[in-house]
Amino acid sequence: MSGFRATLQQEVLSARRERMPQVLLIVFLGMVSVSSLIGWLTHRTVTSVWETTRAAGLTTAPNPFAHAASLSYVKNVVIYVVLIGALLAIVLGVSSTLRSRKSRTTDLVLSRPVDVAVHLGAKLTGMAIWLGAILAVAGALTWVSIALIMRGALSAGDTIRLAAFFGVAWVFLLVFVVVGMLSGIHSRRETSALLLPIVAWSVIVFVLPQLGTAALPVSLLNPVAAVPVEGGAFAGVQQIVGPFALGEQFKTLSGAALGTGSPGSLGLAAFAIVTALAAGLLVLLGTRRDHLRRDLRD
Amino acid sequence: MTDTLVVARKELLDLRRDRFMALLLGFILVATTLSVIVGAAQFRIKLDEYDQYVAALKASGSAVSAAAPQLFPLQLLRGSIEYIELIGGLFAIVVGYGMVAKEKQRATIELLFSRPVRRYSVAGGKVLALAITWLVAVAVVFTVITGVLLIVGRAPLQPVDIGRLLIAAAVAWAYLLLWSSLAMALASSTKHLSTGLIAVLVLWLVVVLIIPQIGDTMDPDNQVPGGLFKSLQVAKPDEHAVLAHFAGYDTVRNGLEVSSVTKHFERLSFAFLGIKDVFNQLPIAAVARQTLAYSLSLVLASAAAVGLALLTTTRKTLLRRNS
Repeated sequence: MSGFRATLQQEVLSARRERMPQVLLIVFLGMVSVSSLIGWLTHRTVTSVWETTRAAGLTTAPNPFAHAASLSYVKNVVIYVVLIGALLAIVLGVSSTLRSRKSRTTDLVLSRPVDVAVHLGAKLTGMAIWLGAILAVAGALTWVSIALIMRGALSAGDTIRLAAFFGVAWVFLLVFVVVGMLSGIHSRRETSALLLPIVAWSVIVFVLPQLGTAALPVSLLNPVAAVPVEGGAFAGVQQIVGPFALGEQFKTLSGAALGTGSPGSLGLAAFAIVTALAAGLLVLLGTRRDHLRRDLRD
Repeated sequence: MTDTLVVARKELLDLRRDRFMALLLGFILVATTLSVIVGAAQFRIKLDEYDQYVAALKASGSAVSAAAPQLFPLQLLRGSIEYIELIGGLFAIVVGYGMVAKEKQRATIELLFSRPVRRYSVAGGKVLALAITWLVAVAVVFTVITGVLLIVGRAPLQPVDIGRLLIAAAVAWAYLLLWSSLAMALASSTKHLSTGLIAVLVLWLVVVLIIPQIGDTMDPDNQVPGGLFKSLQVAKPDEHAVLAHFAGYDTVRNGLEVSSVTKHFERLSFAFLGIKDVFNQLPIAAVARQTLAYSLSLVLASAAAVGLALLTTTRKTLLRRNS
């Protein structure tokens, strides 16, 4: 069995056993399961409000949900990926590298002729497989919940859209796994290893979008990407910070995948997320051997 | 000096020397300040648009006048309050957890309890240190954002506004102390430190992010950009009449929201700062009367968290769990 495969298998096994990611995983899958129900309940209420308003002769406007996409019930899953999924990915990444440091297995493994990039690549691949499995379960739960609500199976087109959305979510979450792994490698303390990527997540999800769009932090918990303010310095600031606001870029891609629509350029959004992942991978796989073994000197 | 004060002094010294703590507080300060600057810039754009509109009206010889956008300076603090609500709560957890975690990790807890300290001295000292830390942090944050309001926002503040800011600062202090005390209590009472951290982080996720988000999502008016009733061109009085038909649904939705203490903090702060239009420019006493339930619940929740931290951070719990 090659070192790569052994590390990968060990990583998947450890990720399954870690308690903190497990709790977050339960919260994530729980919220994914009920999000369709919440979406359906809200749609039904809005339609009833519209019917009441129309019957009272207060409006002639059409039902705002008359032409809503069939997957619009699940648009809240987008925000659960940005909130719970990203935190889960961070915790997975941090736990992965921190666990090896604490148990000194990194020192042991690297005492053998194992390439650092291969070792870290195997760890990341293990995480990616685990995350992929989680998202596959989330996708299946979503599919079943919509099918139950609509009392019928989803069409092939909608199933492909749903799969595309979870595919995008997988790439987006891998960025946070990499950030978490890097933090686990470089931080001196366990608390800072966990907190620094969470600070980075706060900047990406709340601060950067606010600078470019003037959207308030709580309104950024909306599954639709914020629209930039016109005028002033906002457009210029948005051009600079917008690509780094990965949460908003993910919302744009998700809106397109689910067919629910979300403002923003699809090309830029895809480029921003893939570039962030590539940059993170470059830094992670470029980690020096003596840096990974520095605990031996401390 | 009593045992409690000795412990509090040592904790404050540790926190002052902690670079990570400085980073967290610096981040909160930067985020809240930027939020005020963004709000002020956005208002200036509105003002410029109004000036251009008025100029265009004049140029066309029209006698029609338009109401100028009015600046209520404290409303620019909405984003800052939201940052304290979301990120501040998380950082408060880190600080509270650290109070117990460092003792357990360095095994100094055994040394501490080898001294003749009274039953609640260690816990009391740590909670006192947390209270002082958050008092200083909140004072710094509110002083800075008030300065930014005056300088960048060019917002004239009245004496009553200072009173409102002081109340909002007190509310923020109680909220942050609540999370720190809760984290301290869970770190003390669980066998493994990581279990305590998991429990409190999941609690933060559910109470601060998930429950308010579900409540917001279930609000029919939030389902359409710009608001459902605006898109249907329904006037406010008619909106209330229509919503009366959905009282059951709204009770469930609101019940969900108010089950989160974070919403109590938010509604209280927004009311005193006049961020919610219904409370804007109301006298402080009137706002206090109308939000009494939220004030009481926040105070009670904070007191309960402090009480829990005091009861769980004892020799019996910490040494038994460590053995």
